[in-house]
Amino acid sequence: MQPAAVYTRDRCITGIHGLDEILRGGIPYGSTVLASGTCGSGKTTLAMEFLVRGAIAGEACAHFTATEPSVKLLENIRQFEFFDMNMVDTGLINVFDMDVLYSWLGLEKSSFDLDDVHALIKAIVDIVNTIGVTRLVIDSVTTLCYKIKSEQLIRDFLFTLGKKLSTLGCTTILISEITSATENAHWSSFGVEEAIADGIVVMGDVERMGHLLRFLQVVKMRGTSHSRAKHAIELTPIGVMLTPMLKWGAQGDTKSRWGA
Amino acid sequence: MFELDQRIAEQLTEVALSSSVQVRCGNSNAFMVTASTMVPLMQMFEMGGVYISGSRSAMEMIDAFETIGIDVSNIQFIDLVSSGVLGGTNTTRKNIHYVDSPIMLESILLRSLYLLRTTTLERNFVILDSVNALAIYNDDRMLAEYLHTFINTFRQREVLSVILNVPDQTPPLVLSNLDLYCTDLIDRGQVVIH
Repeated sequence: MQPAAVYTRDRCITGIHGLDEILRGGIPYGSTVLASGTCGSGKTTLAMEFLVRGAIAGEACAHFTATEPSVKLLENIRQFEFFDMNMVDTGLINVFDMDVLYSWLGLEKSSFDLDDVHALIKAIVDIVNTIGVTRLVIDSVTTLCYKIKSEQLIRDFLFTLGKKLSTLGCTTILISEITSATENAHWSSFGVEEAIADGIVVMGDVERMGHLLRFLQVVKMRGTSHSRAKHAIELTPIGVMLTPMLKWGAQGDTKSRWGA
Repeated sequence: MFELDQRIAEQLTEVALSSSVQVRCGNSNAFMVTASTMVPLMQMFEMGGVYISGSRSAMEMIDAFETIGIDVSNIQFIDLVSSGVLGGTNTTRKNIHYVDSPIMLESILLRSLYLLRTTTLERNFVILDSVNALAIYNDDRMLAEYLHTFINTFRQREVLSVILNVPDQTPPLVLSNLDLYCTDLIDRGQVVIH
């Protein structure tokens, strides 16, 4: 008797050294992944490498930035030895300032209602559809959601956005900032993002004798088995590098900094 | 004139790229043993690689090598000492890389892997100088775990790992684990000074 064939989902190979191994081949295609972490933990760098590796593979990628101007963001990714400005010139990497998008949509206001949220989702989905984006980063979903006052509306926004992007075959990283003010919410600022996301990657610092060691941990990833161990990371010119964190070295876990 | 220990070179002819060599030395002969290990690897076997400098600053080690006529400009140094001294990292040498502290063990491993990935040489080594220096800052169990990871990581990548060690200053747990993990031993640890 033949063993039953094991179904495996197609993967979006991130190209990030070590991460694909942790995920047993990559992020399941079309997933929405929450990359959640403290400031300086490497979230934006990880997300940018995800896009640049995609561009190298010939995929169209988009980055919606709400935390820093696109010009500054592009300056920062020049640190990668494998980044080429031609990726931007030829339209493989597309960076959008959220402020400009708000302006286009007439959403220059302090808070969004249901209609505004739907207009925003439509605009993002239209851009993804028009360009044929297969890798998307929203940096950060926290900044974006600050404008949405209702928890229910945030949930609807993220759920609808994730669903629409998934049907378009787009793998998305939503960057979430964790601050000391929200230490009760483990992996997201509003507490709803983590329930909506297909995957959660937590990034932060472990304090070891007064020194901060960056770590990454895949807490959840639907559609694949994966390591749930903490991995130490280094941000290098050849990209993010990972190695399993020493078990005895993670004893100071109570000192892990989810917040500042 | 500085004399290298030729027997170390002879012993090194026996090791493979995936080997991990424990090099035991004493307090008084540490540099001679280090140089006697480095020179044949570089000159006889045409290897390059990474030198993790935890006992003394990388600049001090480079000066010491150059004083005895060894060119180490192709070796990448990871300095674990200088960041602990304000002004210690003030150098223009491009082959020195700094890690904040010897307690950042994973960072040392990742930096070594990064440097090895950027080299064009086919045959490489990574020299850890030394277990004793790391033992000053790190818990015995963590250091034993680290050496286990360190040795296996480089063995898997066919990078020769050379681990310098002054045995009478190494915690027993670490020493016994090191004896277990390493494939070869060069023992110059029993040195009597008259």
